[in-house]
Formats: sequence, C-alpha cells, structure tokens
Amino acid sequence: MTPMWYIVLSAILFSVGAVGVLIRRNAIVLFMCIELMLNAANLALVTFSRINGTLDGQIMAFFVMVVAAAEVVIGLAIIMLIFRTRRSASVDDANLLKY
Amino acid sequence: MDKLKLPDMDYVALLPMLALFVAACLGVIIEALVPRRFRNIIQLVLSIVALAVAMFFVVKQSGEVVASKALTAGGAIMIDHAALFLQGALIVLGFVALLLFGERSLEFGGPFVAQAAVTVGSERDREQTGRELGSTETFPLALFSLSGMLLFVSANDLLTMFVALEVFSLPLYLLCALARRKRLLSQESALKYFLLGAYASAFFLFGVAMVYGFAKAVDFKAIHAEALLGEGNSLLLIIGLALLAIGLLFKVAAAPFHVWTPDVYQGAPTPVTAFMASCTKVAAFGGLLRVLYVGFDGLGWQFTPVLGAIAALTVLVGSILAVTQTDLKRLLAYSSVANAGYILIGVIAGQQLGLTSVLFYLVAYGFTVIAAFALISLVRDADGEATHLSRWAGLGARSPLYAGIFTFILLAFAGIPLTSGFIAKLSVFGAAIDGGQTWLVIIGVITSIILAFPYLRVVVMMWLSEPGESTPSVSIPGGLTSTALGIGTLATLVFGVVPGPLLDLAEKASSFVR
Amino acid sequence: MWSIVDGYLGSYAPLGLLALVGVLIVGGGFFANSLLRPRRPNAAAGKRDTYECGLDPVPGGWAQMQIRYYLYAYLYVLFAVEAVFLFPWAVVYLQAGLAVIAEMAIFVGVLALGLLYAWRKRALTWQ
Repeated sequence: MTPMWYIVLSAILFSVGAVGVLIRRNAIVLFMCIELMLNAANLALVTFSRINGTLDGQIMAFFVMVVAAAEVVIGLAIIMLIFRTRRSASVDDANLLKY
Repeated sequence: MDKLKLPDMDYVALLPMLALFVAACLGVIIEALVPRRFRNIIQLVLSIVALAVAMFFVVKQSGEVVASKALTAGGAIMIDHAALFLQGALIVLGFVALLLFGERSLEFGGPFVAQAAVTVGSERDREQTGRELGSTETFPLALFSLSGMLLFVSANDLLTMFVALEVFSLPLYLLCALARRKRLLSQESALKYFLLGAYASAFFLFGVAMVYGFAKAVDFKAIHAEALLGEGNSLLLIIGLALLAIGLLFKVAAAPFHVWTPDVYQGAPTPVTAFMASCTKVAAFGGLLRVLYVGFDGLGWQFTPVLGAIAALTVLVGSILAVTQTDLKRLLAYSSVANAGYILIGVIAGQQLGLTSVLFYLVAYGFTVIAAFALISLVRDADGEATHLSRWAGLGARSPLYAGIFTFILLAFAGIPLTSGFIAKLSVFGAAIDGGQTWLVIIGVITSIILAFPYLRVVVMMWLSEPGESTPSVSIPGGLTSTALGIGTLATLVFGVVPGPLLDLAEKASSFVR
Repeated sequence: MWSIVDGYLGSYAPLGLLALVGVLIVGGGFFANSLLRPRRPNAAAGKRDTYECGLDPVPGGWAQMQIRYYLYAYLYVLFAVEAVFLFPWAVVYLQAGLAVIAEMAIFVGVLALGLLYAWRKRALTWQ
C-alpha cells in the first residue's frame, strides 16, 4: 500500500480538527480538536519520514508530542479557572470582551 | 558501532538564551523557597541582571559574526547579524516591560493577582484583592517567554522555530490570566488567546509537516535549495508556506488573523499587554522575515500579491476599527494591528532597504507602545485602571505633565515629524516605493490619515474637555514605571530627532546568513 | 475436515471449544431463566430505578464529582510525556560518553525543579 494514503488520512484528520474548532462550542471539545490537528501533523511527519527515508520526521513527532503535552496542561488549567467561576465551559459564555 | 557524533555546540553564541533560561529556573527556585514579601525585589533584580548579562553577550558577539561560523547547535540555530539585532531589541524592550511588572507602588501588591486559582468573586478572592501581595511567578514566566523569543528569531529550522514559538507563547497565555482586578476579563482573554494561539500553532505545525514532505528536511538552507531546484511536489511547498504563514501572521496580528488582539490586549494585565505589544511583535516579525527571506526566497517571491493583500487588509481593518473604539486599550490594540500592517508593507518591500525599515520600525514602535501602556497603568480610580475613553476627558487640566506625555506618544503613533513614528513610517513607505509596491504606500498613507483621527480625538478630549466627577486621578508613578515611561518617551523622541545611529545599526543588521 | 485441527490453527481449537462452552453455559442460563421466570410486563413504581443497596436513589444519574486529583493528572501528563526523550537517549548514551549523560542530567534536573515548585506550592498534598 502506498504511504501517500496516510498523508490523505492526516489531511482529513487535520480538516476535521480545523472545522471542529470552528463549529463546536465547548472549550474542552475545541481543545480536543486542536489536539487532533497536532496529531494529524504528527502522522504526516512520520509518513513523510517513511517516504523520504530520513528519521528526522520521527524525531520531530517526539518534540510535537512533548509540546502538545505542555499545551494540554496549560490549556486545561486556564479552562478550569474559567469553569470554576462560570460553571460552564462553553466558549459562547465567555463574552465580556467584545467590539 | 561507530562512536556517536555529537552536534557542535557553540555555547558562547547561545549564552544570551541560556542566561535568561537559567535566570528563569532560578526564579522558580526563589518562588519555591523565599518568603513572599522578599520575592518581588529579588526576582526583579535577578531578571535585570540576567537581561544585562544576555545583552552583554549579544553586543560582544555582534562584533565577531562570521558567516561561516554563524550556524551552531547542530544547524538548529543561526546567530547572524539580523538575529543579534533582534535579540538585542528583544532584551532591551523586555527590560523596559519588566520594569512595569515589578511596580508595587501604584496599587498594593502590584498589578498581579496573589492566587490565580482562587475563584473569582468568592470571599477568599475579595480578601486577596485588597490585602495580599501579588504573585511574582510573572518574572520567571516572562523570562521563559523572552528566552523563547530569542530562540525564535535565531532558529534555523522549522522544528526549532515551532518549539520556540510554543516556548514563548505558553507563558504568555498564563500571564494574561493573572490580572489583580477585573479578573473575569483577564481569564477570558487568556482563554481566547490560548485557544486561538493553539489553533494557529497547529496550522504552523501542519505547514512544517508539508514542507518536510517537500524538501526532505526542515532547515532553511535545504528548503531554499530544493525550491530553487524546482523538482518535487511544489503543491506541498505552497500549502506548507501558506499554513506556516497563517501561524506567523496570527502572532503578528495581521488581518484576518487579528481577532484575538483587541480582546487579549484589553483583558490582560497592562504590563503584560505592554510586553506582548512590543516583544511578541518583534519576535514574530523576526521569525516571519527569516522564513520568507531565508527559507522561501527560492520561490522568487511569487507570494508577494497575497502578502500585499493581507497587508492592505490589515492596515484598513486596524485603522477603521480603531475609530469606533471606546476603550483605550482596545484602541491601542487596533492601532497595533494597523502597525503590523505597516511593518508587513516593509517586509514585502524586500531588499536591504525593506529589511532595514522593518527592523527600525519594530524597535521604534516597541518603545512607544511600552510608554503608552505605562501611562495607561497610571490613570486609575478606585476600581483600578480607568481605560474607558470618556474617563480621560479633562485629564489635561488635572495633570498636564502626563497628558502632555500621552499626547506626544499618540502623535508618535500618528506619525508626526520629530517622533520615531514618522521616521519609521517614512522608511517603510520609502522602501515600498523602491520595491515597486506603490499601491500599498497609497493605502498606507490613506489609512495613516484615518488612524490619526482616533488619536487626535483622545488628545482633544484630554485637553479641551472640562474635568468631570468621573475623571480619575493620575497616580504618582513609582520609580519603576517612571523609568519605563521615561525610557519609552525618550526613545520615541531621540529616534525621531536623530534616527541616524539606529538606522545605521539596522542597516548593518539587515542581512541573513543562509 | 479434521486436517484443520492438526495444522497451525489446530492449536486454537481448545480455545475455540472453551469459548463455545462459555457461550453455551451463559446462553443456556438466560434461556432457562426466560422459561422459568414469571411474566408481569407492567411498570411497577421503582422498577426501573437504579438499585442502590436498598436506599432510595439520589436524584439524577449524572453528578459532578469533586476531582481532587486533577493536579496529579496535570503533573503526570507532563512527566510521562517528557520521558519520551529518555528513550532515544538510552540507546546512545553508552557510546557518547560523559557529555550526553550530563545533558540528560540537566534535562531531568529542570524537570525536578518543576516538581520542587509543585511540592512547595502544596500541589502534591491531598486537599
């Protein structure tokens, strides 16, 4: 099977994540969509690594995983902070700042 | 098995970054072990010492840059003239912004909340707002962020760039949530900044993956060579560049990726806003310049029309929406969007002239914007800063000195001669005409005129209205805010009257090593 | 037909038989039950309630739990994932000598610093 299909899959996953961020309203779900996008990029990196025959892509995937973990912790901390006050994780409820 | 070959590390070249990073780690230890009441002064001194050390090594190395030895850390970091200039600018601007972080005399306990985890509006929260010293984790966070920025402007491959992007963004998200007053606004701004920032960096990362697929490597030299060669799937390259550009243009706050800017600038604590408005802009444009000039130069600048459209849209959106604002911090945010557009015009202008003008603009704007936010942090009432425009009516009668300084700063934003804003705009537009982008200059000039309107409205309001009941008082600034305000204002004046030295410096710095 | 049992797949035959016996026992039990049990298809009060050892159920199946351990979860995510760098390092450190060991020590030291901070801020105590 040609590895190009994995690129297609990663593009689909990335698009699902990107659209998900735009249409979902729960901050946690938004956040999961962003993680999906990062992991789609990981899949693309690893596949290209296979196609190109270099290991760089796999090393990059390591770095991305670590960065994503740091991002998760900071993101959840911020969402938690907001949730405690508002009792809601909907991004539509965060509407004090506008215009 | 062969002995492992370690990458060459020129630790001296990395010292500015390492100094800031080590200081940030020390800052964490201080947070853990030193009693709360001593922390602010210790952290402030430590940060300033670290910045001084970093600056010393930047200056020391700027005399010894050799193209053949500029590449270090296994090819991940490029210390060339442009990188050193940007690093120096970041350190100086970061120093001025950090002075605002340390200010404790305007309000008891400083501008930051004592315990960010305490629920807003609870009994415990009311207690800590009035009586507890602010958190000083802000210093290590800012230092981590600054060291990430230094890495970002000197990164020589896209992976290093991505990691640096996150290193400087993640602390900023947290810093946004730490305001002492109006904590709901602050937390909301952090949420928005975080979600949109993470979204943008996901685009950046997918761009990296695409470029890796095209060039079989992610360092700029290889990308350039592969793009010149013209073999391989150029679709991947173009998709990759577009996605990378989304990530970078988000950070510089160019339209249509600017929507976070007003919310975040308004909600974040004012010292953090000053830090973001000056340093993030320098770092993000530094990264953008390197990507376009070093990595994707091989495309022959086919993407100029797209970037031109984005620049035109940015200046238009920034200037027109600035007119409708009623909050000063939001007004400055839209003005910062418009300024990002002007800098983008300089980026598109290309050549050495364009690069020089961009570097000059970044430094000049950084100083002015820090001074502006320093002044905003002075005008306060019982609830903290009074940022609504109507509250500033009649300020000229209450405190002519500060109203005068603010007038000067606003005139600099508007680009009146004898201010750095004038020279900056002049050089950017000059470079753009030179680079054949006259249409952008026309739009730039028109929007400058539009943008002058909101600035002048504030000036008129301050001087020609009678002070009313609701006009807040201007706090007497402590030494730190005065210093920051003084440095910012003085730099705005000096770069406007004698721009020569900085322009020379920027010109010398306007070359990238590939 | 029996040749299948002798081949490679043959070693799975006992497992398959065991699974079959299991299905038969459970299925047979349910079948016998359906023959023996009384049929009263009415909805008596409380018939569909959650059974909670004789007590009346507390309203609502969904309730918010107090998650005291979320800080541990955050820390765990960080430390677990940072460990990813240890794996490539473990492959090469014997060949590369002292410098590489020192580098990893610095890396782990920075992580330990974070743990020190968390400990001093009492993020590790059960609140």
